[in-house]
Amino acid sequence: MTLSGTTLPAKRFGVSHWFAMFAQLFKWNVLTLRLALPVLIMVQLFTGVGMVLGFSLLFGDINEVAVLYLATGATVVALVTVGIVVGPQFIAQERLQGTYEWSQSLPAPRTAAAAAWTALNVTIAVPGALGALAAARFRFDASLVITPLVIPAVLLVLLSGTLIGYAYAHTVSDPQTVGLISQILIFVIFGFSPIAFPATNLPGWFAAVHRWLPFQSMGDVVRAGLTNGIVTTTTRAFVVLSVWTMLAALVSTWAIGRRP
Amino acid sequence: MWTLRVDNLEKTYDDGATWANNGISLSVQSGEVFGLLGPNGAGKSTLVKQIIGLLMPSNGSITLGDVDLVTDPDYARQLCSYLPQAPMPITAFKVREAIDIAGMIRGGSRPEVQKRRDQLIEILQLEEWRDTLGTNLSGGVKRLVGFAMAVVEPAPIVILDEPTNDVDPLRRRLLWQVVRDLGERGSGVILVTHNVLEAEKSVDRLAIIDEGKLIAEGTPSSLKNDDRGSLRLQLMLPPGSRTPPLPSYIGENVRVGNNVVGVIPETYAAEGIAWAQGLMTEGIADEYALGATTLEDVYVRLTGERSATT
Repeated sequence: MTLSGTTLPAKRFGVSHWFAMFAQLFKWNVLTLRLALPVLIMVQLFTGVGMVLGFSLLFGDINEVAVLYLATGATVVALVTVGIVVGPQFIAQERLQGTYEWSQSLPAPRTAAAAAWTALNVTIAVPGALGALAAARFRFDASLVITPLVIPAVLLVLLSGTLIGYAYAHTVSDPQTVGLISQILIFVIFGFSPIAFPATNLPGWFAAVHRWLPFQSMGDVVRAGLTNGIVTTTTRAFVVLSVWTMLAALVSTWAIGRRP
Repeated sequence: MWTLRVDNLEKTYDDGATWANNGISLSVQSGEVFGLLGPNGAGKSTLVKQIIGLLMPSNGSITLGDVDLVTDPDYARQLCSYLPQAPMPITAFKVREAIDIAGMIRGGSRPEVQKRRDQLIEILQLEEWRDTLGTNLSGGVKRLVGFAMAVVEPAPIVILDEPTNDVDPLRRRLLWQVVRDLGERGSGVILVTHNVLEAEKSVDRLAIIDEGKLIAEGTPSSLKNDDRGSLRLQLMLPPGSRTPPLPSYIGENVRVGNNVVGVIPETYAAEGIAWAQGLMTEGIADEYALGATTLEDVYVRLTGERSATT
């Protein structure tokens, strides 16, 4: 922006401006986390690998189907925990440190900021997911298959997890409440969601609730992309997950665009 | 040339029960350094956040030239760069990286931004920290880096909230030099501060806000007009002591901590000195000082005890 002295600089907009801002904000995000990024990636890697190896220690010998549930479930957990739990905690920290408003005052499209945030989450989450799959393959000789479905499945899981986290982190202005929500979510995801086990293991009412929550669908679509025969149909799971993603995108758009 | 106009701006909370801004009108010209002064909670930050599109006014308008900043907050963020009072999130950035990215997000081209970054690093004497991570910087240097980030790609309006916090006296002077330079380049600079003495030396015009209302606006000297022909008598009292009865020729006065500051007509200077010396002899006062009135006197007089205790 150059000041000519007589006229105001023209408004910057359009696709090239959006991508330029996306690139700068992604760089900004990476550099902001430069000191923590290697640790975060390692933690995600340990989460994915540790879940596969740890659960197998807990349950001893597990059958082939259980191995596949564990491998794909650990992959999903690794994919979503950054966006849905860790990311919101960073945003809450920004609010606590008083830097949130400065971030919001930057002259970049809010959608570019959200996209840069999503890209960062993908960077952190993917190594953990790959680690979980590798651990299952080498430890249990899991008969994983990679189908084309895995690409939309993984992308949708990453996007939905990140946007759900982004939505509540920007909607709830109290950092402590954001921290509390993230703790509840990690508790629900790890222990009480049919991600690494079949929904039939849950009480009927709870399984019915999970039909409408995103977590079971996250497990189903990724499992359908990485296994043969376990998941018979994915239409409903893709629809549920798409609806959650769109809702989270709408709430995010409202939250980052609102002016109280 | 352009003008930022804030017209009859109102911002209320709690369904109108709490007024953060109450009918504020002011204008800032391009090339002008404009001070925004007021005690904590006066409504300065609320005003600034409405200008940069973070808060929606309840009433009133904010325009920059022909642009309505209220209806186009995206453009408002492009036209106003902002240094908040809170520390900048640059812990993991090298100094030059933080300034570069801020400049490019503000729309500067890489070569222009890098050239200007080098100039700022040199002017603000930050060379030795050029490649130092933010986590290893002192508070004052971090503040200067934040300042450089806000001005590396000058916007038509640059809003600086307490830019000299934690900055050493030498670099404060350098910073003010850059602020003056911003004005010469065409930016209108809004300086939000509590530091009245510093503002007096640095701003072209200023506004004082208290309890959401604009209570004074003008040049530093015009605001002191009412005190022309007066002197400032300051008494330093022993800690915990009561304010002694003041002679009738001491007009408006305020107690700030152990200091009592009053305004006396120039013609009463001799009496004032004799009275103050008498208090010292009796042990009622530790020290006194008589001098020209300052903008701080005007500020304290206008904002009263609220600012004296904040």
